[in-house]
Amino acid sequence: MAPTPILYSGGGKWHNRFMQDEWCPLDEISHPGGAGYCLLKLKSPALARQSKPGQFVMVQAGSGYDPLLRRPLGILKCDDSHFWLYFQILGRGTSELASLKPGDRVRVLGPLGNGFSEYHRQRILLIAGGRGIVPLFFFAQRFAADNELFLIYGARRRQDLNLLEEIAALPIQERILRSEDGSSGEKGMATDGVTDLIDSRKITVTLSCGPEAMLKWLAEGLSVQPTENWVSLEAMMGCGFGICHSCVAEFIDGRYRKVCQDGPVFRLAEVRWST
Amino acid sequence: MVDLSVDLGFIRLKNPVIPASGTFGNGEEFRPFFDLDILGALVLKGIFRNQRPGNPPPRIRETAAGLLNSIGLAGPGAAEMQSIIRRLAAMTRAPLIVNICGDDDEEFAELAELFSGMNEVALLELNISCPNVRSGGRCPAQDAVHTARLVRMVKRRARKPLIVKLSPNVPDIGTIARAAEEAGADALSLVNTFLGLAVDLPARRSVFANFFAGLSGPAIKPLALKLVWEACRSVRIPVIGGGGIMNGRDALEYILVGSAAIQIGTVNLIEPGAAVRIIAEIEQEMEMLGIHQLDEIRGRLT
Repeated sequence: MAPTPILYSGGGKWHNRFMQDEWCPLDEISHPGGAGYCLLKLKSPALARQSKPGQFVMVQAGSGYDPLLRRPLGILKCDDSHFWLYFQILGRGTSELASLKPGDRVRVLGPLGNGFSEYHRQRILLIAGGRGIVPLFFFAQRFAADNELFLIYGARRRQDLNLLEEIAALPIQERILRSEDGSSGEKGMATDGVTDLIDSRKITVTLSCGPEAMLKWLAEGLSVQPTENWVSLEAMMGCGFGICHSCVAEFIDGRYRKVCQDGPVFRLAEVRWST
Repeated sequence: MVDLSVDLGFIRLKNPVIPASGTFGNGEEFRPFFDLDILGALVLKGIFRNQRPGNPPPRIRETAAGLLNSIGLAGPGAAEMQSIIRRLAAMTRAPLIVNICGDDDEEFAELAELFSGMNEVALLELNISCPNVRSGGRCPAQDAVHTARLVRMVKRRARKPLIVKLSPNVPDIGTIARAAEEAGADALSLVNTFLGLAVDLPARRSVFANFFAGLSGPAIKPLALKLVWEACRSVRIPVIGGGGIMNGRDALEYILVGSAAIQIGTVNLIEPGAAVRIIAEIEQEMEMLGIHQLDEIRGRLT
């Protein structure tokens, strides 16, 4: 089916957006973080060229009706003809995906969601917790040349702090790696010393993605900072393109917004965190 | 050459495939995937008089070959729906069906009157069967007396053909189906979702704020097919069957038990181009089985 860009409404907003549902050949599969994580290299020139950092795809797991729903996975990076998906193996769907073989074809709907804004000549701090590295990695890959980027990447243990070689190769100013148990990088949380860093490095924008506890802390900690703060949210999704209203998050104005279509990138201060 | 067209008496559809309410958004979201004109008709997301936020998250839980949802009919309200309909009508000639909800009988009737006034609207579907609005999953379609009273009241004020959407969560579907027919329904559609429960074991409570949720997807097909068969034997008006339809063969099974047309729901969420595939598969299956018109098999289950 020929994909055509169209105008459509999402929660009252109109986006000019390209999306397609395509069987993509799997070129490579690896487990860079050991058994708990999986990296897929999939071929689709259209999807690779259209995807923006912060966008995601819905991926069919398995070939039958069980598991029924596709899985939302963030895009790690793209080149001219391929896109990469990196995910934690958490349940049946992700296990199915992790057992694919090169040459298999995978049904992928995307690119989906709003993605991050583009920036020029900003000093941007990326704050990643665990698998939250995925959209921020793509951002760094795409926008490092035009901005000064700083990264704090924290996880619970060494096994959850992955893609370190690829991160080392990104042209960014400064990388701080942390694990809560001290098994890799500095011992500590991703959020430790964030406000000092913003101050000393004259950060103008922060982008964060990670577990809710981390994001909630950031929402409080960064509220008094002069920075523009954005967060990429994760959610359980039914469709991924705005139809089912399953993935809503709550906002401080008392409204729900669809993570898949209105987000997944939102202003950090506008999200209401559960207590 | 096979003929897929369907005559409901009050409208002729080019094929029996109708995306179900709540699984097809405002329709326009599907335009990147196919031309909406290929559809038999389409049903818009259920609408109340006023804007509704819907239920607190979590709103969804995957089950074995199925999906539990507790969305709670989140929506923009009737005024915004009117502009959505005008926009959509400019994009497609597919008959548009408005799915009408209400917190009380008057709201159903008022909305039926309002949307009857729009030339862009072909039919009304009365949603008396959503399990996610009231706690415990109660809905008017569980009570024959309430169903009859409500349908009669709405019929008095509706100036478009009225489809009444029934709940599977009843002891005898035939009783409810007949109550709707006698009160003046022009057609029935079923099933809405089956009431289900998902538990959060460590927390020892229901996953959903509304406690019960609605089950859909291929897991419910045998249950739904049986209820559609029963409803078709209970009434003379057309029955639009559905529940777990994933492919053309499933669709033809619903025709065989007596459905005039079919609704596809959950499959739209997981495969945006599903309607196109299912229409093509119905045609292929008919050719393979030597069926020229759906009338040849409709209600011919022995």
